[in-house]
Amino acid sequence: MSRQLIFILIALSVAIPLVIRIGLPNEVTSEVMQVYEEIDQLDSGSVVLISFDHEASSLPEVKPMAQAILHHCFTKKLKVVGLALLAEGTVIGDQILRRAANEYHAKYGKDYVFLGFRPQYQAAILGMGEDIVRVFPQDYKNLPLEQIPMMKKIKNYGDISLIISVTDGDMPVWWVDYAVSRYHKKLACATTAVMATSFYPFLSSGQMKGLLGGLKGAAEYEMLIEKPGMGQRGMDAQSVCHLVIILLVIVGNISYFRKNRLQSTVDSPP
Amino acid sequence: MELGTVIAVFLTLCIFSFLYKDNPFYKFAEHLLVGISVGYVLVIALNTTLMPKLINPVFKEGKFDYIIPGILGLFMLLRFFPKYVWLSRISIALIIGAGAGVAIPATIQAKIFAQMQATMSSMASIDGIIVFVGIATTLAYFFFSREHKGWFGTTARVGTWFLMIFFGATFGYTVMSRISLLIGRMQFLLGDFLHIIK
Repeated sequence: MSRQLIFILIALSVAIPLVIRIGLPNEVTSEVMQVYEEIDQLDSGSVVLISFDHEASSLPEVKPMAQAILHHCFTKKLKVVGLALLAEGTVIGDQILRRAANEYHAKYGKDYVFLGFRPQYQAAILGMGEDIVRVFPQDYKNLPLEQIPMMKKIKNYGDISLIISVTDGDMPVWWVDYAVSRYHKKLACATTAVMATSFYPFLSSGQMKGLLGGLKGAAEYEMLIEKPGMGQRGMDAQSVCHLVIILLVIVGNISYFRKNRLQSTVDSPP
Repeated sequence: MELGTVIAVFLTLCIFSFLYKDNPFYKFAEHLLVGISVGYVLVIALNTTLMPKLINPVFKEGKFDYIIPGILGLFMLLRFFPKYVWLSRISIALIIGAGAGVAIPATIQAKIFAQMQATMSSMASIDGIIVFVGIATTLAYFFFSREHKGWFGTTARVGTWFLMIFFGATFGYTVMSRISLLIGRMQFLLGDFLHIIK
């Protein structure tokens, strides 16, 4: 089978379910439920820190997860502090946060704030445990933090109820190393599927309080907040595409063994 | 239709054209991505680090002690000049010393003690026993001071099964992740551009 034919099959298996909804069943896993419950049990006015630790290339996976979490936070009237520990996450984080806030008429400086980007993530994570102003003297709009009403009551991790790292890399490991181990903060993680397996040990040890893994995690969270979005819309396509890949693997193996058998028949003397 | 959407569609198709074969359109889009990414990171670093952490404190607030880390930062650039490369080692030594000092205790606490504690305390459940067997047998596979023969060889072989299951799960997640990226682009092409998805 030519490569081009495989690409066409994959493209069709993604495109058709996106256009024609199938509505395949999807169940909520315990790790996603944990994140939901951690946010849901917070009192109105509690502070959630969301760190956009990702690059632009992983946007189709991280954006639906971030959107779903932010919608939950703003519905619960929680205060959101956004920041980025990877440069490319800065503009994207600001955009996602602003759009979600606008939908719920949340006000900048009162209900949410975006601090921007800081390099040297170890130093930034550790520094915020002592004093956020020292790490971020100004927000993303260059407004001094002292002038932002919401930030007057948020000095360090002591005033933050939950940290969520929206990531496509190993940044949650650094959050575990410094914010969880040293400052005993609760951490949840929304990560691309490719990174998810790396964080399960932290989940089972209790160092992470829940995990959203890729588009599936986003779809599950959308189900919990009853707000269908990009995640649920993409899950049909994801499932059909996986079926096609499994079929291709089976066909490929059958053809491989058949070819080997034929070869051995030809090679063996009569 | 917005100009940005049209440009994004063109660049997406340029990148997808590689699936047929390498071509100038793909190369153009690839080089554009690299150039824009570097430029973007430079501007972000300038606006969010150099200006508020060095230029403004020194020139606007008169905090002249900030010049010292500034000079140490400039030393790093001397790696391009063989005659003065030794100066960059001062900055590197400082980074490695401080980095290791901060990282080692945190890593030991978070990745060794906490993980060992979780493994031991979860032994009461079947899941916990499976985790323990997985850890013990996998560690046996990576123990090279004894030949992998007899009971020890069998234990190490069980460890390889656990490793294979891990590789399989990771590969499955990788496939899922890559398909998600394709879904994202398809949603953009069929939804934002062609308006077929409602």
